[in-house]
Amino acid sequence: MKALIFDSGPLINLSMNGLLQVLEKLKSSFQGKFLITSYVNQEVYEYPVQVQQFELGALRIKQLIKRGVIEYPDSLNIAAKELEHETRKLTNLANTSLRANEKSINIVSEAEMSCIALSKILERKNIKSIIVIDERTARILSEKPENLQRLMSARLHQKIIMITNNLKEFQGLSFIRSPELVYVAYKKGLIELDDSRALEALLYATKFKGAAISWEEINVLKKL
Amino acid sequence: MFIYFLKVILQMVVINDKEEVEHVISVLRETREALETSDTFKLQKLSDQTIHSASIHQHTDFITLAVLIYSLSKILERKEKMNIARWSAYVKKINDELFKAMSELKKGDSEEFARHLEHTKELLISFSPNVRENVQEVIKRASINKASKIYEHGISLSRTAKLLGITQWELADYVGHSKTHEDPYATTVDEKKRAKIAREFLS
Repeated sequence: MKALIFDSGPLINLSMNGLLQVLEKLKSSFQGKFLITSYVNQEVYEYPVQVQQFELGALRIKQLIKRGVIEYPDSLNIAAKELEHETRKLTNLANTSLRANEKSINIVSEAEMSCIALSKILERKNIKSIIVIDERTARILSEKPENLQRLMSARLHQKIIMITNNLKEFQGLSFIRSPELVYVAYKKGLIELDDSRALEALLYATKFKGAAISWEEINVLKKL
Repeated sequence: MFIYFLKVILQMVVINDKEEVEHVISVLRETREALETSDTFKLQKLSDQTIHSASIHQHTDFITLAVLIYSLSKILERKEKMNIARWSAYVKKINDELFKAMSELKKGDSEEFARHLEHTKELLISFSPNVRENVQEVIKRASINKASKIYEHGISLSRTAKLLGITQWELADYVGHSKTHEDPYATTVDEKKRAKIAREFLS
């Protein structure tokens, strides 16, 4: 068993680009589960379904949940209480990891941390997982926290202190973004678009809908 | 010894907060001046300055203030196009309200300060019924713009959307068209390696 854990960004991205069917196709050959937490569900369905502009996109995501393409952690017998406890612990750690003027900066929300919490719980159950996340803060915090410190120091024009002890909990996780997801779908022949520019078009589309990927990285993906 | 350090730390927090209050008062003062002299550029600069504080303190009032100042800069930029009747009276009313907000902050009454900020926002919308919808749109866009700035400062997208009271759906498109993701600090893993991880996992 393995699992792909989705943060809100990639689902919003694929929905806005009319690419949610890619998930269905990827899932059909995947020996595992596509999961979202209740916090992510709030961001991809519960809130946007109340906004006229995003109602359709939210309903499309809900349809994937109804059809079982995307499932909740309880499908792997993960208790809501355990996930909630881990989420709160990680949110607190992340939000006390960077300080400016002796003050902790709240850098993340429960939604992103619930994905990391779920990944850690799955790891304890010997289930491999990857987090699909488009925004950059949670990813940098795990993969290269010193970069977040540098980025924030540069942007805020002041010294940011990092509490490195807090960050051990965030290490050893794997992340991909919606561009890598559509890249894999393309390579697997799951994209019904018969044009030599199809891959670049997919990558551009995901970048323009918020995936934290640079043009340099897009160019690398295009050439692979 | 422990109590001594605790006192020092507490004092530093208070001083920092005091500095922040002074900063906001100075921003409000300069905003009023910029409005009187129709200085759009200065308003945008002041809004950006407020965003630095908003990113660290994440106090809703700082965020409201940043959105307000940016909205004012945009309204000022388009005042002819938007055909706002009695512009000078409009500026006077807004400046009066900002003055009240500033006075309350000086007195240390943060509740009244927040109330006057909200009132300023209401004034912006209600002063001229013919531009009500336009101004509401300007405020909405200002919120998204300020959200993208906070995200740029390193705060997560979800956290930022929550702070501004908007959805990530609104932010995704705006952020995707900005240069935020070209920041070299955002590149953390070699792209070939990440693509390989994705391909192997989804095989």
